[in-house]
Amino acid sequence: MSHLHIPDGLLPVWLWAGGLAVALLLLARASWIARGQSPQRIAYQGALGGLMLAAMAIPLGPFEYHLTLAGPVGVLLGGAGAFQVAFVVSAILALMGHGGLTVVGLNALVLGAGATVACRAYRVVAGRIRPAPALALGTVAGQAVAGALWLAVVWLGMRLRTGPASPGEAPDARLGVFAGLAVPLWLLGIVVESLVAFGLGRFLARVQPGLLPRKQEAQGTVGAAAGPAAGPGAGPGAGPGAGKAA
Amino acid sequence: MIGTLAQIDYLASTGRTPWHRASAMGKLLLALAILIMAVFAPGLRLLVAVHALTWILVLTSRLPGRLVVAAAGYPLLFSALFIASQWDGTWQTPARLGFRPLTSSLAAVWLVGTTPYPDLFAPLSRVLPRSAGDGLFLTYRALFALLARSERLWRALRLRGGLTGPARRRLALAGGGLGTLVVHGFERSQRLYSAMLLRGHSGRICGCRHYAEWSRADLWVALAATVLAGLGVWLWGMP
Repeated sequence: MSHLHIPDGLLPVWLWAGGLAVALLLLARASWIARGQSPQRIAYQGALGGLMLAAMAIPLGPFEYHLTLAGPVGVLLGGAGAFQVAFVVSAILALMGHGGLTVVGLNALVLGAGATVACRAYRVVAGRIRPAPALALGTVAGQAVAGALWLAVVWLGMRLRTGPASPGEAPDARLGVFAGLAVPLWLLGIVVESLVAFGLGRFLARVQPGLLPRKQEAQGTVGAAAGPAAGPGAGPGAGPGAGKAA
Repeated sequence: MIGTLAQIDYLASTGRTPWHRASAMGKLLLALAILIMAVFAPGLRLLVAVHALTWILVLTSRLPGRLVVAAAGYPLLFSALFIASQWDGTWQTPARLGFRPLTSSLAAVWLVGTTPYPDLFAPLSRVLPRSAGDGLFLTYRALFALLARSERLWRALRLRGGLTGPARRRLALAGGGLGTLVVHGFERSQRLYSAMLLRGHSGRICGCRHYAEWSRADLWVALAATVLAGLGVWLWGMP
């Protein structure tokens, strides 16, 4: 519920064009924040983007439901890095026919918002509780926001285009049916993603804790782009000027 | 989804039709024009004509029918949701809402099915910020490497009983499995970075310049673009 599968030509132009414009602006901003990052960091972002796509390829039941991993990726990369990954993943998905090309911007915004909120929520709780529940809580917050945005976009798209209903039927009745189907899936998605994030956080805390943002990063003011970039085992994107190598 | 992508990726590199030989830039512009025409066409006649033209492109590119149906038919489920919510008792509205996404997804299938990904991403990476442009190449490349690994992981989880028991346990174990992929992705990024340095990485992945190498096959793309423009001029004002 944090990724729009809406194809081209169904949403009002102002909605997808506005979404695309905002997403491109945010992408430019995110790239500017992360301007000093090394190719190694970009390769790490690529690996996590590939993981998101791989997770999305595994259906978990009806309605093409699948994981997105937006929360964990947001925590691992920080808001700026995760937004770039969200944009790239949305573009590749659109080229595969999963969501229209015009919806790339809205998809990046929905996925990126989930990732960024998860990152912020993780930072708030990481110093107080262990990494696994912190990652799960961050994911809950991220999925809640991403799902709400997803519902808002679809509802808005349907609401603005809804024509006259059949006699005796209120125009909003069909939207009510949609909400009745979508809201339980949204809640289910929050539970599933947070449990997976819990397992992921528990594993990383045991095996490679350097990949998780450290306490001072989580609590402090380290820029979103820095994320887990510093410290042993957290190599991607480490030093200034690394990008000038070779 | 990934099986379809892998097949499309293979066909894009091995196909021998004029569309496969044409430059990526020309095809990208043609696909963009089809998309714009499909989304903004005011009347059904123009939409049907553009749809028919797109089918001609797809059929002449010799992509397997099963693959085309799988990839292009994907939006139908979500289109049906919108069609159901907006049905006004006429047949024109569902037809319009059905043809638009189908036409654009067919155009996307034709584009990615006839263009190898380095050629397709190269022009896009030049207009995107550096990290996003490079991310396109690296994410796509990482996907296939991770995919084989994730398949082995799910198999191992199943064999060791990781997919039994209560849902809470299964999902947490699946998260642990994904954690191994995160660690693998991190280690892979270190190796990839070293390889990039050894190969003289200059700070940006731009892909090759084949995308802008025009050939005689591009005349077919130009012809298709001319037909599309003609259809637009002729049918724009018609219902």
